[in-house]
Amino acid sequence: MLRLGHRTFADDDLLVMAIVNRTRDSFYDRGATYAEDAAHERVREVVAEGADVVDVGGVKAGPGQSVDAAEEIRRTVPFVAAVREEFPDLVISVDTWRAEVGAEVCAAGADLLNDAWGGFDPRLAEVAAAHDVALVCTHTNGATPRTPPHRPSYDDVVAAAVEATVALAERAVSLGVARESLLIDPAHDFDKNTWHSLELTRRLDEMVATGWPVLVSLSHKDFVGETLDAPLDGRLFGTLAATAVSAWQGARMFRVHDVAATRQTLDMVASIRGTRPPARVVRGLA
Amino acid sequence: MIDAAVLCPHPPLLLRELGGAQDPAAELRHDAVLAVRALVEGASSVVVVGGDDVGRAWDASTPVDVRRFGTTGAAPSRPGLPLSLGVGVRLLAEAGWRGPVETVALPWDGEGVDVLAEDLAGRPAGTVLLVLGDGSTRRGDNAPGYLDERAFPFDDAVAKALADGDAEALHTLDAALAAELMVLGATSFRLLGALGLRAGVSSATLDHRSDPFGVSWFVATWRLGR
Repeated sequence: MLRLGHRTFADDDLLVMAIVNRTRDSFYDRGATYAEDAAHERVREVVAEGADVVDVGGVKAGPGQSVDAAEEIRRTVPFVAAVREEFPDLVISVDTWRAEVGAEVCAAGADLLNDAWGGFDPRLAEVAAAHDVALVCTHTNGATPRTPPHRPSYDDVVAAAVEATVALAERAVSLGVARESLLIDPAHDFDKNTWHSLELTRRLDEMVATGWPVLVSLSHKDFVGETLDAPLDGRLFGTLAATAVSAWQGARMFRVHDVAATRQTLDMVASIRGTRPPARVVRGLA
Repeated sequence: MIDAAVLCPHPPLLLRELGGAQDPAAELRHDAVLAVRALVEGASSVVVVGGDDVGRAWDASTPVDVRRFGTTGAAPSRPGLPLSLGVGVRLLAEAGWRGPVETVALPWDGEGVDVLAEDLAGRPAGTVLLVLGDGSTRRGDNAPGYLDERAFPFDDAVAKALADGDAEALHTLDAALAAELMVLGATSFRLLGALGLRAGVSSATLDHRSDPFGVSWFVATWRLGR
């Protein structure tokens, strides 16, 4: 059982987390939902397409325009409150590394803190505990937020990701975060080159074997682009292939731009695995 | 003797789990279960008869072999009942019947129909029959047997005989044409006809007729006796 704030999910549910950026400069959508109206429209759209979770972000992951905590709060807190009001059952996640932002969004109704910079602010886990919300524990190899990888190297990238994320999860439990409200994320491309991200995907079952539910964030990332020599607008098929492989190995949550395509991919994997009946079967059975 | 008989088709889709999340055969299932429920009301035992490659009696507690057709999970429950008998047993369960059941497979070529009819005529009162059989499988470009225009008059004749309680017409069905039209109910139709000829048909209703996937499905109820 996985509990994300006010909602619980079964162990074989494959959950789609839709990215909703309140940024001007995120790498894929380039500010498309920075405006409040556009962001609300995006939420309505992804809910209609089957998203289980929305992940609201106020700061671009990569380098770019400076966004301080006050500006991040301005971008996220009222928005979270409005989404909570419009969609009482939707799981709302906020992508932030800052504890002061985390506290404010939790008070506004967030269910999940996506600590995409892997415990850079150690107080964020305390905020999750205080508000009884869920927390994503991410492997960033100690990177400073918003810095791209430069010559990262590992003895064993999977072992490093397992060790770091499990340590963050156990620490969070010790601080009072509910054990059933933690996910781990190997963080493809965060202080990893394409080889590392491919290996994390290939060996994702080793992360799953820790017993902690695994979140993967693969959508249109550079490891897909480099692998397929595909530009930013040509990475959907590669993303979906990586999604299918990850789901097959046991990943539970998928942070994505393309909700309908991901939902369909995950439904297909679930039916191949045998945890979801096909929608309607008549061929050869009449 | 047999007091009453219900004819139902036996598509795998009547094993509910095979249809997937939706129920592609919901209307047929509804009508079939309704007819079977009425059939077994007040009955003391049920004989289920359906076609198979080999004619023989089966132990009715043999599992229904769903895995042969699909679904998920571990070990298939083989050997399982032939499809026709499996569907019959499942319909009985869905209709709430918990009493004694006898399951008999007849070969597709119809051998033994009259012997079985004779045997059934000697059963104690309170015995009812659930007989499984489908009409033509060649009712359209997307039908499992493609299109054969002769399927339409053939199925119409079967439907009329079922609705009218016309035992003679069912008993003398053109077996060779039925085989060409991929009718998997010819033996069962003939058995129903043979019983009707012996005992008389006091009432007949055609409870369901459809062919949503190019296969003719009929549900019919006959009360026997003069």
